[in-house]
Amino acid sequence: MKTRARLPRLVATGATLALALSLSACGDGDGGASGDDGKIHVLVYGDATNKVEKQLVDTFNKTSDVKVVLDTIPGADYQQKLQTIINTPQAPDVFFNWGGGSIKPFVKAGLLLPLDDLIKKNPDLENKFLPSVFNNAVVDGKPYGVPMRGTQPVLLFHNKKVLDEAGVEPPKTWDELLDAVGKLKDEGVTPIALGGGDVWPTQMWFQYLYDRIAGPELFQKALGGDKSAWESPDSKKALGMIRELVDTGAFGKNYDSVKYTNGGSVQLVAAGKAGFELMGSWYYSQQLTDHQEFAEKDLGYTAFPAVEGGKGDPADVAGNTNNYYSVMKKTKHPEAVAEFLKLMYSDEFVKAQLEIGNLPTTTNTDEFIETSGTPEYSRFQYDLVADAPSFQLSWDQAYPQKASSDMHKAVQQFFNGQLDTDGFIKAMQALPTE
Amino acid sequence: MTTQITSARPAAGPRKGTRRRPPASSATTVGRPGFAWALPAALFFALFAIVPLIMVAVLSFMSWDGISPPRFTGTDNWSRLMDDPVMLKSIWLTLLLTALGVLLQTPLSIVLGVWAAGHQRNRAVLSVIYFIPLLLSATAVSVLWRALLDPNFGIPADAAWLFGDGNLFGEQATAIGVLAFVSTWQFTPFHTLIYQGAARAIPQVLYQAAEIDGAGRYRQFFHITLPQLRNAMITAMILMIVGGLTTFETVLILTQGGPGTDTTISAYYMYDKAFKGFDYGTGSAIALALVVASTIISLIVVRVSGYDKMRGSAEGVS
Repeated sequence: MKTRARLPRLVATGATLALALSLSACGDGDGGASGDDGKIHVLVYGDATNKVEKQLVDTFNKTSDVKVVLDTIPGADYQQKLQTIINTPQAPDVFFNWGGGSIKPFVKAGLLLPLDDLIKKNPDLENKFLPSVFNNAVVDGKPYGVPMRGTQPVLLFHNKKVLDEAGVEPPKTWDELLDAVGKLKDEGVTPIALGGGDVWPTQMWFQYLYDRIAGPELFQKALGGDKSAWESPDSKKALGMIRELVDTGAFGKNYDSVKYTNGGSVQLVAAGKAGFELMGSWYYSQQLTDHQEFAEKDLGYTAFPAVEGGKGDPADVAGNTNNYYSVMKKTKHPEAVAEFLKLMYSDEFVKAQLEIGNLPTTTNTDEFIETSGTPEYSRFQYDLVADAPSFQLSWDQAYPQKASSDMHKAVQQFFNGQLDTDGFIKAMQALPTE
Repeated sequence: MTTQITSARPAAGPRKGTRRRPPASSATTVGRPGFAWALPAALFFALFAIVPLIMVAVLSFMSWDGISPPRFTGTDNWSRLMDDPVMLKSIWLTLLLTALGVLLQTPLSIVLGVWAAGHQRNRAVLSVIYFIPLLLSATAVSVLWRALLDPNFGIPADAAWLFGDGNLFGEQATAIGVLAFVSTWQFTPFHTLIYQGAARAIPQVLYQAAEIDGAGRYRQFFHITLPQLRNAMITAMILMIVGGLTTFETVLILTQGGPGTDTTISAYYMYDKAFKGFDYGTGSAIALALVVASTIISLIVVRVSGYDKMRGSAEGVS
């Protein structure tokens, strides 16, 4: 009988607990912008650069009636979390993204605000940015993002000492690269370090070779849904050259077990066990952090070599063009958002980004480069990007996010010989383009 | 008299037939906790396990990318999975890794557990050291081994005679070997603990009797210890199998299913489809298939081993 008497109380306790739990789950509204609370929520990728973003928000809030609230999501989970909240009341007003395919599904679902009206009122929102960068957030002819943070072109880095010992000059053409590979092999070092375990570094070789051989049009065609681009002669030629490079042992035999993200390939170059590494411009600060002495004395960098007879301009660049701020259609304060976005080409923004090693893509960046921590390197990058006729966004960012995993698989499998040319072409043709 | 006995040991009663409610006045039910005690747990289980499971089941018949509203597509996801070579490969890989886990961990943990149940010198200290891998999170363990196995700066660089060019993560066989090794390294301590407890519970009289009969250490191990560990073995194996079928973190961090799809086990494939490919319908279908498979396999193990009518191992001793 005793147990009977307790039953209602237990039920009540249990129900209260369950309710409290579900309530607290809903109440986690810090990251939400539900309702009009006179604030703009800005969602950014959580990392060291947040320092600058916080500074700008503070600057903005000093003069504005509508206040900006900065929400951060730890890096590795950003894309997944964004996808989960973007169509809910928790969605922010403005959010960080990679342009290209990373926002295309949101545009298609009608969630994003086209910025052309805001730009009509204030043309500087477009004019103050480098066009090749700005255009990467244009979807179906309409701009959906304003560049923020810095550009990250992919460069060919090298160990000056290793190259000297092998009697090799930094290559300007593909043949010179092949020649360097042979000489480095004779010296007993791995010619090119590659963090194949992460797969995206492997993809960088595809991006550049396709661009040099076929020009940017081939990839744009493929991205637009024309699958025949992948079986074109240029595509096959690029694949043949990759195959040749891998088969000569340019990357050694264990590249798929090496990672960039745990510092494996970085150390290979710094320790003098490898000559080259193809990597985004963040490589310099990575080496500076991991191997300061090497970075300051022996780390060299050049643009990706030209390919003789290729249709692509050797001045073309590939990599991460920049990050962007996109605006949700549902925002209640588009005017305030526009005011906030204007800060992204302000002197304060450029100076603060340069200070932490990022290279903004605004037209006034040029004036401040000398104030950067590594002016020579910043200047090289800036000129490279400013002079580039085309800036190819990384393949996995240009395609819709949902394609990236299958694309990475195909890239890795072709590289290590699990897929032949036809297999790779089929795999790329099977990728969703929207 | 008979009714009293059955009501005293309801678990041992016949499984089929009418359910007998023990008379409330019966002395044997005093002290048996009422159903209400299970209510909070049952509510939580329903809220956080049953409800999501039903939602996953529904989602497996839909197409959903997380943004646009979900659409019913009938059995599309399922029929596509049936013809998907990667799915078939992932099932095979999952079973292989599970089997490897059981085969590697069982003998190791039995030997260690029986040893740890003894009274040797330094036993307590060494047991604590052996236990350390379990205290680390699977993520930390995976990151650690990925770094230790770097071909140029890790263990393979110093032991080229064993690892060759050190391309452990670049070939299917060695990548699977690494995965099996790392899980074994991490989970053997846990199963050792189970066997240690079970070995301690073996009545000493059995060994004393065996000694009088002249049985040596090995005979004692194979004829007393092992048979007496039967129930512990079944428990440990069920845990290993269910754990093996749902392994995830080690694959996510060590190989990311690669090279290519060579280590894409089913649980990772689910993640790949749902959270990287934004195809939550297909992901749900894989998840549901995993739930069903794990349940069936566990049930089979329980049935075949007689776990469901498990007898106390001390029966007939005292």
